[in-house]
Amino acid sequence: MKNHSILQARNITISFGGLRALDRVDFDVRPRETVGLIGPNGSGKTTFFNVISGIYKPDEGEVWFEGENVVRRKPHEITKRGMARTFQNSRLFWQLSILDNVIIGMHTQQKGTLFDVIFRYDQTKQELRRCAEKAREILSYFSQELCDKCSGLVVDLPQGDRRRVEICRALASNPELLLLDEPSAGMSPEETDKLMEDIGKVKEKYKDISLIIIEHDMVVIEEIAQKVIVFNYGKKIAEGTFSEISKNEEVLEAYLGEES
Amino acid sequence: MKRLTKRFSAPEEEREHVKDRLGSILFLFLIETAFFGLILLFLVVEGIIPVFSVILGTILLSYLIKRFESVNDFLQSLFNCHKRVAILWGMIFLLALPILLHKSPYLIHILFLAGLYAALAIGLDFQVGSTHLVNFATAADYGIGAYTAALLSVKFGWSFWVVLPLGGVAAALFGFLLGLPTMKTKTYYLSLVTIAVGLVIYLLLNNFAWTGGPNGVSGIPFPRIGSFSFGSSLLIFGIELPFQANFYYLILILVIIEFVVAQRLYHSKIGLAWNAIRDDEIAAECQGIDVTGSKIMAFYTNAFFDGLAGAVYAFNVSFISPENFTFMLSVIVVTMVIVGGMGNTAGVIFGAIIMTLIPEKLQVLQTYRLWVFGLIILLMLLVRPKGLFPQKIRQYT
Repeated sequence: MKNHSILQARNITISFGGLRALDRVDFDVRPRETVGLIGPNGSGKTTFFNVISGIYKPDEGEVWFEGENVVRRKPHEITKRGMARTFQNSRLFWQLSILDNVIIGMHTQQKGTLFDVIFRYDQTKQELRRCAEKAREILSYFSQELCDKCSGLVVDLPQGDRRRVEICRALASNPELLLLDEPSAGMSPEETDKLMEDIGKVKEKYKDISLIIIEHDMVVIEEIAQKVIVFNYGKKIAEGTFSEISKNEEVLEAYLGEES
Repeated sequence: MKRLTKRFSAPEEEREHVKDRLGSILFLFLIETAFFGLILLFLVVEGIIPVFSVILGTILLSYLIKRFESVNDFLQSLFNCHKRVAILWGMIFLLALPILLHKSPYLIHILFLAGLYAALAIGLDFQVGSTHLVNFATAADYGIGAYTAALLSVKFGWSFWVVLPLGGVAAALFGFLLGLPTMKTKTYYLSLVTIAVGLVIYLLLNNFAWTGGPNGVSGIPFPRIGSFSFGSSLLIFGIELPFQANFYYLILILVIIEFVVAQRLYHSKIGLAWNAIRDDEIAAECQGIDVTGSKIMAFYTNAFFDGLAGAVYAFNVSFISPENFTFMLSVIVVTMVIVGGMGNTAGVIFGAIIMTLIPEKLQVLQTYRLWVFGLIILLMLLVRPKGLFPQKIRQYT
């Protein structure tokens, strides 16, 4: 069931204990599309990300990614197929350097078995060097300063830079679909502006990439999302352009009405 | 091949530079030789008070060096500039050690033991240091390697050089099987599983008739190269070295090989994957890392090296029994990794060496070994959880 969609989720249902976190959710993403996913806290947005990236298996439903049913696959297999993500609380490799974090993002593209590493180390070394170069390239595309101090530990970075490194790490695997989970969380207005610039840069450099962005900041969503999907209590309650959903009564009642 | 001289506009500049360079190399020699002298002193000195003084003196010295940044940095840069020379000189010292100690077979023997523990510690570092899989079954891998090599030799007469890799393979197979439960268990539970399995292996060795039961395997012959037996003394530069020197050189080669392999693993996608799993397993999985597969790989690579060490041990002591492969041994090796430095190969070698040599020099500690090791683990985890030499950040030129 390809249907010109890069991602197709149908009837996704998952419960934790007695709580229904997702209830018969359908979701489509087309190539080169940027989808905004919004909804109140606890409406199932991150859970949805966890289902499509393979961390959770849904109780019901199917997920097609690039035309293949991936609902039973493990996260690392799904990443190999071209999906990358960031996390709500940046899950970086804290005891490693910035450069190492991005290099690990390229894991799926590194060849080299145990045998190669031990007995054909020259090859391994070359490959690693190439990866380091590519990693620096990705970092410098977003921030030359970050690239210059790439031997530092990520744990020493401020919030904005941490997000940036996480995005670079996700991009390092050359994904077709990038999931961003509340990238602007904990950011000041200036940092959020920089973030929007960065996302713009992502779309510029990776022209074929599709994005799903979970966000609470409506400014970000309005600016970059071509399509917006709204969740509430695990159900999809609206889908459309930003202006369409911002006039939708159910959405206003559930979400936008509570902010101002 | 590094250029020994840079190109300079004026010949005087070049001469000055060469003089500076020679000067700093000479200084490096002096410092290294002083350090080797300290090691020799520690090995040779007898009696509680002298030994304690040397230990305390060394601790004080290291503390002072750490304290004064400039001294620390200077020594670091000196070493980095002339890495090859420093390592060469170190190698020469290690090779010459048995010659310097040829009057004391006992000292050469404990250096051999230190080497065995270093071999075990390097392997365990893949799990405890790089991946944070706390494995308490080192004694099991070690024992399986030792018994495999010993039994094949005693029952079928196979040569040491054939049973050595077989011991490693047998242990690796066991390590692979031990790693399978990692699919379902995490951290603390995994450690419990390894403790249990270690005990099971001990009980099996004790109860099977074909392993000799509590009597173990005796009559393991010395390795031979052609007509030369490892049980006979070695003649080098006209000096007769006791037979322990043969085993010392054997374990030295093994440790060097292991060190190189460990470094290669560290600077590769495998080492990076292990560290990623340590820092955040879920995020690692989402980068495309097969977490289960990587963990299992850590188990069997560790086990392989333990098995090799076990085979060497068996052929050194000529007689092995289940009592040589108890839980206590696993705890000791874990301690060495924690003390030496998690994720730092040179660090764990250092940890293994000092934790072998110091108890040997301070015989009085032997009765309180479990006590002391427990205390050390506690102290290290409280004060310096990453070990004396924490993991170094990878550099990419």
